[in-house]
Amino acid sequence: MTDIQADSGILQCVTFTLEDETYGINVMQVQEVLREVEVAPVPGAPNYVLGIINLRGNVVSVIDARTRFGLPAKDSDEMTRIIVIEAQQQIIGILVDSVAEVVDVKRDEIDTAPNVGTAETAKYIDGVVSRDDTLLILVDLNKLLSEAEWGEISNL
Amino acid sequence: MAIDLEDDILQDFLVEAGEILESLSEQLVDLEQSPDDSDLLNSIFRGFHTIKGGGSFLSLTNLVDVCHKAEDVFNLLRNNELSLNADMMDAFLRVLDEVNDMFEQIKSGEDPSAAEPGLIAELVAMQDPDAAAASEPAESAQAEPASEAEVAAKASDEAEDAEIEQVVDDAAAAAAAEDFVSGKDEITDEEFESLLDALHGTGGKPQAVTGSSTEDKAPAPADAAGSEEITDDEFEALLDELHGEGAGPTSANDAAAETGASETQQGDGEHISDDEFDALLDQLHGKGKGPTAAAGDKPEQPSSPAASDKAPPAKAKPAAKKAAAKKPTAKTATKPAAAAKKEASVSKGDTTVRVDTSRLDDIMNLVGELVLTRNRLNTLRQSFDDDRVHKAISSLDVVTADLQTAVMKTRMQPVKKVFGRFPRVVRDLARSLQKEVSLELEGEETDLDKNLVEALADPLVHLVRNSVDHGIEMPDQREQAGKPRQGRVLLSAQQEGDHILLSIKDDGAGMDPEVLRQKVVDKGLMDAESASRLDDSGCFALIFMPGLSTKDEISDVSGRGVGMDVVKTKISQLNGTIDINSALGEGTELRIKVPLTLAILPTLMVQLGSRKFALPLSIVNEIFELSSKNFSVVDGKEVVLNRGKAPPVFYLRKWLLNDSDQFKDFAGDPHVIMVQVGNESVGLVVDQVIGQEEVVIKPLDKMLQGLPGMAGSTITGDGNIAIILDVPGLLKSYVQ
Repeated sequence: MTDIQADSGILQCVTFTLEDETYGINVMQVQEVLREVEVAPVPGAPNYVLGIINLRGNVVSVIDARTRFGLPAKDSDEMTRIIVIEAQQQIIGILVDSVAEVVDVKRDEIDTAPNVGTAETAKYIDGVVSRDDTLLILVDLNKLLSEAEWGEISNL
Repeated sequence: MAIDLEDDILQDFLVEAGEILESLSEQLVDLEQSPDDSDLLNSIFRGFHTIKGGGSFLSLTNLVDVCHKAEDVFNLLRNNELSLNADMMDAFLRVLDEVNDMFEQIKSGEDPSAAEPGLIAELVAMQDPDAAAASEPAESAQAEPASEAEVAAKASDEAEDAEIEQVVDDAAAAAAAEDFVSGKDEITDEEFESLLDALHGTGGKPQAVTGSSTEDKAPAPADAAGSEEITDDEFEALLDELHGEGAGPTSANDAAAETGASETQQGDGEHISDDEFDALLDQLHGKGKGPTAAAGDKPEQPSSPAASDKAPPAKAKPAAKKAAAKKPTAKTATKPAAAAKKEASVSKGDTTVRVDTSRLDDIMNLVGELVLTRNRLNTLRQSFDDDRVHKAISSLDVVTADLQTAVMKTRMQPVKKVFGRFPRVVRDLARSLQKEVSLELEGEETDLDKNLVEALADPLVHLVRNSVDHGIEMPDQREQAGKPRQGRVLLSAQQEGDHILLSIKDDGAGMDPEVLRQKVVDKGLMDAESASRLDDSGCFALIFMPGLSTKDEISDVSGRGVGMDVVKTKISQLNGTIDINSALGEGTELRIKVPLTLAILPTLMVQLGSRKFALPLSIVNEIFELSSKNFSVVDGKEVVLNRGKAPPVFYLRKWLLNDSDQFKDFAGDPHVIMVQVGNESVGLVVDQVIGQEEVVIKPLDKMLQGLPGMAGSTITGDGNIAIILDVPGLLKSYVQ
């Protein structure tokens, strides 16, 4: 994420949870957070693509972060949210367990990704920040929607 | 020179010249039919001239070169100093190709490469059949303005040497500046001096005129130009150049030359006789304001040949005419015909605005949203119990529909845009096949969505080529069959409700169903039995089968058997249909039906489980209820009995719903929707038919694009999402 190298010393992150981990994504890439709306499945889509939603007249694809990170599926509850982000010139919704807050992260506190989480998760990690005995994992959205996966889709 | 694609002037030039090029191609082919049409010659001349003008301003030297040469030849043609022949036509068409190539290069940001030298030489050679012109363009150029100058000189005979001298100096300076700027003109200063000496020698009288003009030469032509047809942009650009380079005379001359040329175009292109010219000069002399403008002209006569490299006679002539034609304008604002014409064109120009298509697309999208919201309101309407709400929604309904039509119209373009290229295509093809073919166009003004116009271009070219290649017979054969030697291809367009009907009709040999049957069997594409069961129209439809060509030999024109298949696919992608009518010995007609617009799609909404799906209405033939009576299994395949046939039937829910939903009960009374895919009819079983709805297509994300069978999505009246199915794609990927 190039924004991390931006001149300001503070990075603002939107944090969300999946399973027991807390993840963060650059606030600049987040457009909005939605309560779960009805997702229309798209026949033939890759398994981590839940489907499409109507976002005020625009059709937006929603991916399931759990499937993407190799986590077991979980039924949605009242905490479930869709984070609408913009990455690589497209708008994508990400379904997460819950969205917590916006936190300030000092850039010099960011460590390069250690071997945390599952192998699946590690692919999308940009760095980690340890705060109050917990780890905040910074997600690289561009990798999350990375080229390798496009190949996977086109092979379907 | 690197090309700055961001440059507005360049962009304007590309747009404008692009349009001119398109019409040039048409006009050149027309010209072949009527080589003596002076209007046509004039307008082609003008076309090349305008491109040249714009090109030279942008320093596209190679482009200017070739346009300039072509312009020269056309100038001779329109003055009846040359007559057109077939070789020249070929050369002109090659010039056009060359210019088109250069345009492509410019568009991709490259400096256009030089035109083929042979072609230029050919053009130069054309100008003088005696082959003298090529070697001595400068000389002839010199002669012309000189004589022109004499005319001017004679017209007024109170010459004063000092002033003449001034003209000479001034003009020489102009020429020098020109040298500096263009860097390649072939008239040397000496030649130029001698030219002016000639003027001097005759004791001409441009003096009074000159005196006032030396200082303010630049403003003078500028004034003149202001009243001429030069557009504001061009004019401003010229002024900029003028200030920037400090080469006043040069630019001024250019400006004047431009003006003059455009004036020439406006005028009827006749030579102005010496008498008239005299009279004009006399008038001019009497006026206070006239001289300024006139002075601008005078030195420019000699130097305008300099402005254009090599300065062939053609250039000198417009300059001369300009001198004559412009004066009246400078003198009095009331110039009859030319001025009136000019005004007309100005007021006409004011009524149109060029808008970026992406902006139109945005508006179209917004209107799409509005339509969706209206649909939603219409759905909600039932839950309101207030008359006023109903009224408001009704009027919103009407206004939205009108708005939708109005916006759609802004995106419409006349079909002419596609048709325009066909005269050339047919001509070239007929020539290379040694056939005689005339192409008639009908309904060129029919409007069609811009995207469709573009999308239709390729299939139509293909079909027209086919008509000429396969349809029309050789002239001798035609005579034997008692037909005129010249074959006829009719290309027509007309609007039919919300569709456009395009037809390509030829009076050629027609198609023989037997031959097609034989062919399809020979190629192993079908067994003899099923082939024999085909009726005539079924046989004609065989030409759309991949791998089938009726031509025995493969040529570069056609015969590979891939074309028609591609055409058919393309037309289906546009939600259109194509059908064929043919009578052996009488000709063939292909009819293409496409919707007026691609942005809004009429669909049939169906329900599967709890989901809604939309099928393009254009492929739906028939809907009926599924019952055990009409359903049966043949050879392990499920079929439905309908109208004496047993087409295969497929359950859409098996393909489109996930495992858990698939085995739930039907959400309604299952119906069979008969759809036409290619030449086949297929039944699709759905839970329930909801009804017809016009939807705005929302393409799927990059992440979901290319999924088989999904054409896009849309938002339905109740705010939910429906997926638009691409039935051919669906069948292809799911049917084993």
